Amino acid sequence: MAKLKLQVNGEEIGIEAKEAALLLDVLREGLELTGTKRGCETSHCGACTVLLDGMAVHSCVVLAARCEGKEITTVEGLSQNGELNELQRLFLKHGALQCGYCTPGMLMAATALLRRNPRPDLEEIKIGLDGNLCRCTGYTGIFEAIQACAQGGRS
Amino acid sequence: MDRKLIRPDSIDEALSERQKYGLDAMPIAGGQSLLVLLRNKLVDPKILIDLERLAELHGLQRQANAISIGAMTTIFTLASSADVEKAAPLGQAATKVGSTAIRNLGTIGGNVCHNEPGADLPPSLLALNAVAELRSKNGTRKVPLGEFFRSYFETVVGPEELLTRVEVPALPNGAAGVYLKHAISSEDLAIAGVAVVLIPDGNGGGAVREVRIGLGGVAPVPFRAAKAERALAGAVLKDEAIREAAEIASSEAEPMTDPHASADYRRKMVKVLVRRAIVAAKEQMERKGNGQA
Repeated sequence: MAKLKLQVNGEEIGIEAKEAALLLDVLREGLELTGTKRGCETSHCGACTVLLDGMAVHSCVVLAARCEGKEITTVEGLSQNGELNELQRLFLKHGALQCGYCTPGMLMAATALLRRNPRPDLEEIKIGLDGNLCRCTGYTGIFEAIQACAQGGRS
Repeated sequence: MDRKLIRPDSIDEALSERQKYGLDAMPIAGGQSLLVLLRNKLVDPKILIDLERLAELHGLQRQANAISIGAMTTIFTLASSADVEKAAPLGQAATKVGSTAIRNLGTIGGNVCHNEPGADLPPSLLALNAVAELRSKNGTRKVPLGEFFRSYFETVVGPEELLTRVEVPALPNGAAGVYLKHAISSEDLAIAGVAVVLIPDGNGGGAVREVRIGLGGVAPVPFRAAKAERALAGAVLKDEAIREAAEIASSEAEPMTDPHASADYRRKMVKVLVRRAIVAAKEQMERKGNGQA
């Protein structure tokens, strides 16, 4: 076992984990941050997407030990003072979710995109979300929500 | 027993660990493929040697006649580097690897050492005559990429070695390069991936001195379609000759059938993509010749 010191959603957290533990397992099992979803576990579906120093990564293919000294942001870190943020509210408004399982990953991938490129066009949004699959409602509402957020100038 | 993770701080230290543990250990670069193999129990090393802290392996340097790319340089860095963009078709290929999240962490070293059929970078690196630098406690050797890939998921990297850099020679002025990928979904591996580099003969008559065609996903290892290249070298690229060369390249492929595509389909896609890539590269070369690019 290894002792890890992680920065998660702005908080420094100490935790014990297996040496080669995956970030996904540490977040869900260790820290009980279950907003990050376990999907394919093979880096295809993006349900486990989190931000690592602002970059979208699939936490099922990230060693937790490598995250020390980096800022981890999960979907739990998006809301502000208990309120959904702009992007989350726009996901609701545009019906960008049905079962909701892909939603945390979609939100994190979109957040990374909007931080890097605050005014993405549709093609750039599609590339930004190319690591995230939705298997029920489809992508149109998701793209609309992100476009609306970009037009509002806030992410 | 739980897997052990070793995190060396220097290349020397990493090479000592390689020597000490041999086949019991595997080096981990970006982890975007290896952690999937571990999860699916396709490999089960006792030890992982993490290369992330080896600062010298991160990033790329422009040299007089080449770009030297550290093995831990991410695909994202490659895709957004102006230097790499000049080394067409490598920059185009980098934008086609996996998905955004995979490009953010995946590395050039991991991509070539994993040697999965359909990987996007090898066809371009082959067409650019790239050279791999391999290091062990016993020294350094340089291996042209054309001799680097041995079979499915196998390379010449020995159990005590590490791939440290990939050197990409600069193309002469006026050269053009294109990478085309055929896949069902953008984040898939290529059913067929084709990199073409054209080098003009410099006489202004539109003839090419050299045509280089790198193919991926259509044989046990990525390779250069040498017969097709020879068929076009030294000539002005006419439509009929391009079609014939594409046909020859298709006959040089040794594809396999898998759940994504049959061998026959892959062969047909080689023909289509080689033709399209040469045509696109020719147009690019002509634009450069006219001073438009």
